[in-house]
Amino acid sequence: MAALFTLAVLSFLYKDNPIFRLAESLFAGVSLGYFVGITLDQTLKPNLFEPLRTNFNLHWDLVIAGLLGAFLYMRYVPRIGWIARYGLTTYVAYYIGVEFTRKVHGEVLPQMARTILPVRGFDFSGFEAFFASPGMLALCAIVGTYSVLIYFFFSREHNAVTRPIARLGVWFLMVSFGAAFGFTVMGRVALLIGRLNFLIYDWLYPIFGL
Amino acid sequence: MTELHFDTGRVLLLICFGLVPVAGIILGLLAPSLRRQIPLIVGFVAGIVPILSLYIPKRFLSAAGEGMSPRLDQYLIIVAGFALPLGIVNVIQINSRRVGRGEKGWPFALALLIGLLLMGGFGVYGAFSGQGIGFLPSGAPTPFQWMTDWFFRPLQATIFSLLAFFMASAAFRAFRARNVEATILLIAAVLVMAGRVPLLDFLAYPFPPLHPLAASLSQTMGRLTEWIMDVPNSAAQAGIIIGAALGAAAMAIRVILGIERSYLGLGKGD
Amino acid sequence: MSIVDRLLAIDRRWIFLFVLMAVTIPILLPLGLPVTTTGSTRAAFEYIESLKPGDIVWLSFDYGPSSAPENDPMAEGFLRHCFKKDLRVVVCALYPLGGLSLANSSVAIVAKEFPNKKYGTDYVNLGYKDGAEAVMRRLGENIADAFPTDVHGTPISELPLFEPETVPVERRTIDRVQVKAPGSEVRMGIRTIGQFKVVFTAATGLIGEYWITLVNAQFGTPIIIGPTAVSAPKYYAFINSGQLKGMLGGMKGAAEYEQLLGRKYPELSKFYMETRLFTGTKGMDAQAGIHAVIVLFIFLGNVAFLLARGRERKG
Repeated sequence: MAALFTLAVLSFLYKDNPIFRLAESLFAGVSLGYFVGITLDQTLKPNLFEPLRTNFNLHWDLVIAGLLGAFLYMRYVPRIGWIARYGLTTYVAYYIGVEFTRKVHGEVLPQMARTILPVRGFDFSGFEAFFASPGMLALCAIVGTYSVLIYFFFSREHNAVTRPIARLGVWFLMVSFGAAFGFTVMGRVALLIGRLNFLIYDWLYPIFGL
Repeated sequence: MTELHFDTGRVLLLICFGLVPVAGIILGLLAPSLRRQIPLIVGFVAGIVPILSLYIPKRFLSAAGEGMSPRLDQYLIIVAGFALPLGIVNVIQINSRRVGRGEKGWPFALALLIGLLLMGGFGVYGAFSGQGIGFLPSGAPTPFQWMTDWFFRPLQATIFSLLAFFMASAAFRAFRARNVEATILLIAAVLVMAGRVPLLDFLAYPFPPLHPLAASLSQTMGRLTEWIMDVPNSAAQAGIIIGAALGAAAMAIRVILGIERSYLGLGKGD
Repeated sequence: MSIVDRLLAIDRRWIFLFVLMAVTIPILLPLGLPVTTTGSTRAAFEYIESLKPGDIVWLSFDYGPSSAPENDPMAEGFLRHCFKKDLRVVVCALYPLGGLSLANSSVAIVAKEFPNKKYGTDYVNLGYKDGAEAVMRRLGENIADAFPTDVHGTPISELPLFEPETVPVERRTIDRVQVKAPGSEVRMGIRTIGQFKVVFTAATGLIGEYWITLVNAQFGTPIIIGPTAVSAPKYYAFINSGQLKGMLGGMKGAAEYEQLLGRKYPELSKFYMETRLFTGTKGMDAQAGIHAVIVLFIFLGNVAFLLARGRERKG
């Protein structure tokens, strides 16, 4: 069955066809049903229903969480859809608050700290040694990071000083995006390799007794 | 006699996320203009508590098991659980309508609904029967696990594997050295693609005398690729991370303070 | 129509056919091409090697079937490594679209290879939980707040891996009002993520980043990440800032880890050569083939483009 679904989806490469669309629709439905199963069994049951059932005295306040979650579904009731805003603001604002601390503490500060490096220790013994020397690595890190940040500063128009630095930042970005493209090719192709490996080794070979 | 466990954190959460919304709903039914304002107050508390708890070591706010912040984290695990299947109601409404009216593409809508109801039904059964949604003690799969293994996983894997073909086609058609920047991008991409995998060994495979040269060049390409990733790429990514993080932090403040309300479907004038 | 024009207007289905052949032929006729290891993978491997038997590690399945060919070999390789080192492993899944089923499968596959490992004592599967960041914040203070039970519904206070012990509880009053009755309660020896030696997150998307920027930043737990190749480039910045102990980038990273495992543990080298399971090493031949094809397409496309542009300038 898995092999037939695989072939049905791959048939899209030749032409859009009803078999592919059937497989696609089935996938959409099964994915949504999957959400229902994992959420009920893995989150709501152990974290809400069971604590309320087994120890209500300790966990009575989880009813509030349940209500806030249920409020989200009020958007589907025509006249009281606005009640969903209570669940939605709680959900969005909480995760944005956590993002705030996570971004500043976990991204901005460590990445900025990484650029506070002494630019010393150049090794001129050879081409490879020079580019791998601590001084060169530090210089590239500082120049690259700050030129990219200057490029992204759009609040003011670039002038004669910042324009060339921003251009250098663009070059660093192009190297990064080119490398990212190379990795993206690897990533996408890996998925295809996985599927074809399944079709060949787990489906075709057993059919032929290999 | 039942004895409910009260502590300052829980009481404050009851007020902010229980009593205020209930009061807000009642007031909202009486005065529609309040339907927009009071949720923003609840949102402000939800957003500010996790931030303040990191900086203010007060018992009511951040004490383990008792403080507002730890308890709020547990609430939001549950709310996230409710949020995940939120779109399902909409999908059922749209597709049922399509099937009911016999609109164009209704067999596909029917297939979607069948898949959803079967999979969701197995999930509900697994959750409430105590069977679970994984494997039974005997090692046999539950109906949910069976559908996951033979429907969900192959379909999802194959749909995403189509990207490889489209990416190759896009690389052929769009990847052009039109200017200096595009050329730098192209060269970096080719070097990384050649350096990350044994490409030269692959090309030299039919020619055994070239194997040692290919191996040596592969090693050099590998080191060059690592340098590209470790140095210029890493520096550029650091710049992107810092810039994006500062932007996200600024957006976070706007949402928490209620300045940004588009996620509620409210514009600036609302 | 000249060759240049024909090349520029080629039907994309020919390109699809070449891609299909470039991937299928190396799968049918494996070449066994060498896999070189990189610094980030070696760092991850050596960090796990430095741990002692009995140390406790966390493995998070933060990916779905869409990236299973890349992440499955990483997660299973890591699990095999942990079992070889007699480390205790706690498994969870935070990715909603398939993380749980992949965690269940991979744990079942590897556990079968190590029949001496006992569920509940040597390894535990906590299952899936919604709300990634909220879950991680709770892990920093009390794992049971986020995961009260394991995947089967067993309370984690009953699992020996978490070192539960029953302790007496004294009466507690505030202003002569009893808030805690005397009795006993179960306290867990392994209670927070800070007690774990490392978190390995096999990730697609943002959840891997959350482990680094939230759990490592706020609780100090070392992180090793196994991202998909698509998201691997950005994690080099985190390696250089010291927020990561190592990284397995994509299927190549998985193949490198398998190489290192094979060199250190000959029985695993034999296993990787004989197994019919999909491994990172098996995929590298096809990767090399497809890269060759895509580089060729890029080269041909640019040659055609430059020739066409030259012709336009002349004309």
